[in-house]
Amino acid sequence: MPKIDVNEELFFRTLGRRFEKEELDVLLPTAKAELDDWPKGEGILRIELNDTNRPDLWSTLGLARQLSIYLTGKIPSYPFFSRASAPQKTQERRVVVDKGLKDIRPYIGSFVAEGREVTDALLREIIQSQEKLCGNFGRKRKTIAMGVSRADLITWPVSYSAADPDKTEFIPLDFHKPMSMRQILSEHPKGKEYGPIVASYARFPLLADGKGEVLTFPPVINSALIGGVKPGDTRLFIDLTGPDLDTILTACAITACDFADMGFRVLPVAVEYPFDTPYGRTIVTPFYFQKDTVLEVAEAGRRLGEDLTVEQAAASIRRMGNGVRVDGTRVIVSPPEYRNDFLHPVDAVEEIMIGRGMDTFTPIMPRDFTVGRISEAEEYGRRVREIMIGLGYQEMIYGYLGSRRDLVERMGTDGSDAIEISNPMTESFNMVRNSILPSLLMSEAESAHATYPHRIFEIGKTAVKDPADNSGTRTDNTLGFLLADREAGFNEVDAHTLALFYYLSLEPKLAPLDDPRFIPGRAASIRVNGRLVGIMGEIHPQVLAAWGIEMPCAAVELRLDFMRGGE
Amino acid sequence: MDQPPGSRELHPLEVKVLLHYRPEDTVSSTTLVADLGYNLGQANQSLSWLAAKGFVQESSRATSVLYEITDFGRECLKKGTYERRIVELLASEGALTLPEIAKRLGIEQKDVGSAFGGLSKDKVLVMDAEKRAALAPGGKEALAPKQAALQTLLSRASEAPLEESALALGEKELAASQAKKRGAAGSLFRLVEREVPAFVFTSIAAGAAAELKKSGATGDEAGALTPEMLKTGAWKTAQFRRYNIDVPPTRVPLGRGNPYCTFLARLKDKLASLGFEEFDGPLVETEFWNGDALFMPQFHSARDIHDVYYVKEPTHAKSIEKPWRDQVAATHENGWKTGSRGWGYKFDHDFTRRLILRSQGTVLSAKQLPHAKVPGKYFGVVRCFRYDRVDATHLADFYQTEGIVLGEEVNLRTLLGLLKMFAEEVAMAKEVKYVPGFFPFTEPSVEVHIRHPSLGWFELGGSGIFRPEVTEPLGIKVPVLAWGLGIDRMAMTSMGVHDIRDLFTSSIEDVRSRRIR
Repeated sequence: MPKIDVNEELFFRTLGRRFEKEELDVLLPTAKAELDDWPKGEGILRIELNDTNRPDLWSTLGLARQLSIYLTGKIPSYPFFSRASAPQKTQERRVVVDKGLKDIRPYIGSFVAEGREVTDALLREIIQSQEKLCGNFGRKRKTIAMGVSRADLITWPVSYSAADPDKTEFIPLDFHKPMSMRQILSEHPKGKEYGPIVASYARFPLLADGKGEVLTFPPVINSALIGGVKPGDTRLFIDLTGPDLDTILTACAITACDFADMGFRVLPVAVEYPFDTPYGRTIVTPFYFQKDTVLEVAEAGRRLGEDLTVEQAAASIRRMGNGVRVDGTRVIVSPPEYRNDFLHPVDAVEEIMIGRGMDTFTPIMPRDFTVGRISEAEEYGRRVREIMIGLGYQEMIYGYLGSRRDLVERMGTDGSDAIEISNPMTESFNMVRNSILPSLLMSEAESAHATYPHRIFEIGKTAVKDPADNSGTRTDNTLGFLLADREAGFNEVDAHTLALFYYLSLEPKLAPLDDPRFIPGRAASIRVNGRLVGIMGEIHPQVLAAWGIEMPCAAVELRLDFMRGGE
Repeated sequence: MDQPPGSRELHPLEVKVLLHYRPEDTVSSTTLVADLGYNLGQANQSLSWLAAKGFVQESSRATSVLYEITDFGRECLKKGTYERRIVELLASEGALTLPEIAKRLGIEQKDVGSAFGGLSKDKVLVMDAEKRAALAPGGKEALAPKQAALQTLLSRASEAPLEESALALGEKELAASQAKKRGAAGSLFRLVEREVPAFVFTSIAAGAAAELKKSGATGDEAGALTPEMLKTGAWKTAQFRRYNIDVPPTRVPLGRGNPYCTFLARLKDKLASLGFEEFDGPLVETEFWNGDALFMPQFHSARDIHDVYYVKEPTHAKSIEKPWRDQVAATHENGWKTGSRGWGYKFDHDFTRRLILRSQGTVLSAKQLPHAKVPGKYFGVVRCFRYDRVDATHLADFYQTEGIVLGEEVNLRTLLGLLKMFAEEVAMAKEVKYVPGFFPFTEPSVEVHIRHPSLGWFELGGSGIFRPEVTEPLGIKVPVLAWGLGIDRMAMTSMGVHDIRDLFTSSIEDVRSRRIR
């Protein structure tokens, strides 16, 4: 869940007054936000946002906007939005899209923001927005990348084209000499970081003006000249590019509203496509494309457990900043410009819940009668646990992930049945354990100073490859126990095993077992009704040496699911 | 101590000390060994107990010189000194050269040489014309007394080091001749200086001694009652000494459950008692059940390679059950019949079969839906895996407690009631606070915060009503609640554990000593 640094001064100025912590604790949840930290004297509040479908809230202004609407009921207007039926005037401001980008990164939303001077604080807000919108929501710029350039240096129209990576050269931001786009990918830090998004294509996206001067190389880096925005600038060109049109239009809308709230005048730009889009070949951005959501109020009442009138429903939905019309027994909800998270009428139901206030809903205790029970595997496990405790064993509980070194190499097995992770974070956790024995031996290796004898057990899960299963794997509920002592031997674990089976009303059949983990001639396989359920024996000194264990050990491992006769 | 301990709780060793000495005597472990025939261990132990009880008190530390038996000394005690073995060999075999003696006895030549030197000085052996050692006339008899004395000393020293001050003059000379400081190899004794504390009797000792005399105690009272005493009736005339019940007993190794496992078992029992049925499943799941069936779009950032562990081999499940697969796919693409817009992208049928380690308990909730009873309540305490940095508050391999509730009565208010029930029954909390929440697969969603008796306010968990895009493609017509609780904080508090990694510690000693408060 994203965390943002909210500029205290800007935040309270937008809200109209200063709020204390107790008040924020009541107000922030209406935007699904919570105050993480408010360090004294730093001028920022650290706030965590919990709704991953509301990127409009991930900036000081976006959050302040939502809370302000909730408090005052006043919905801001953003008259610079175009609709399919009513596009805004754009004068000379046009972006022409090259058809070569269709399979690369075809969509762009853009606008000009003017009338205010860029300050350091403003730049910080813009950068944080960009980070959250493009880094977080835009999946590290893969689906949304934003560029900000100096509009006063642009000769219209701007072209958004698929450029030759080797022949196209410009001076990127923070550097001093011209480089080809491909060079930027290998030599510029942003090139190394974001280059992989476009590196595999034959041509790379490029925004340049009417004279051929480069604005930006989406999603990588601005140019040093037109792309080099500085404090004092008063006219900016903002572009957002990506592979999905609705996502870009939403990102563009959010950014435009934030700029408007900052006091800028937003001037729309006409984006001309050489192919069809759901909204035509020319889209004037910022563009309102969102569809209405129709909600039957009776349905909402059922879901909320509370009867509502249509007017009550409408008022609550409006309080959240949405447009609402009443139509008989239904309400028709138009999302605000900066939101596109209404997928189903239930999304409007949640708006009612928050709009009315959580505390207006009183809890009703569950009334349906249902029979509760623990699972059969759990029941069986408890029987086994009780017997093992009675045999003097201390129960342990272990992690299920381990390293190849511990799970396979130290055990002297080939590990061919073990499940490996293809993207481990570290080598310490690159496999799922196929046996409890390594976990028990790890305990023993760590516990040489604990008073002997050691008797330990675990009832837990192991997983192995199994071609018979749809998933090619099988998870088993397993019992493993280990005895470490001067005289730890086959006889003792045999006695314990037989006692266990007796009290589980099972008759085990032992047969000699050849297994590299055990001393030859001192290991047995255990079968019940012909089915292999487990193994036991004295641990081979080679295995003990591999673990650094200097006390003889004997161990047993049993598949409880097979013994139970279950799955 | 306000009152002196009753003399009735004294060990026989202590009793004998109090009875034997006078109040003005000074005692040490050495005197106890000499006067009462204690071994060194008994002597030290009785003085330590008496001191702890306040009957004696340390008055000074004398440095005493001790002769400790060396390993070589022990060997000679067993096999005989070199001198005696040489003499006995010559007595039976006649004269032999020194190298021959060395070979026959398995002794180094130089040791034979020096032994011979000493023995010839003592007129036990002589060197004959052929350079052979031979018994001098009366040599064996000359040796006997010295060897006998040495044997006695060795024997005593093997039990406890010899205190120089306790040796007779002749014994002292003999021991000294056979000792080198700091135990140089080849000497029978090692000269050691040790501090031996001396004790005087305190004022209450005399009273205790008098009490003992009055009660007729001798220090010979019986310890354990034996089956033999019962058989013969000897118990009738025996006096059983009273035990000091304050002495800490030996630690018992026992079989026992693990406190975290016990916590989880109790949690399961509590949930079962509230009408919930347990579910569980395999560790390896498909993206279909772990995410797609929960209406999380395949391009959602939470489903990146950075959050979930992928299985190396096999990479994909063979198939996903129909009709669920097709209905869920259609729902993602265009909403299908659920009334939703859907996500509007092309559903990837290969990605959906991709095998991963399950990352959330909700995967089992999704799998349960097609087979769930209505009304129904289900729960699972489920081991999950996330690609995450491991530290004091995060694990990559951890439990989630999750479940679902199905029925016509499911709505926001019964959802709040459910959370209140959990707060009261599972967390013993009286105060709850509801806050709008967010899960990708529920709408509306609510978090519950509780005021815990010792932890204060924290988020206990959350719940939401499954989106129709989740339930309808899986054949469910009634509303369904999904809920989850975070219980690890409470588990850790109840066990006094501060680092979440310790819940799964491998250390046997740590687990042995951990207990529920």
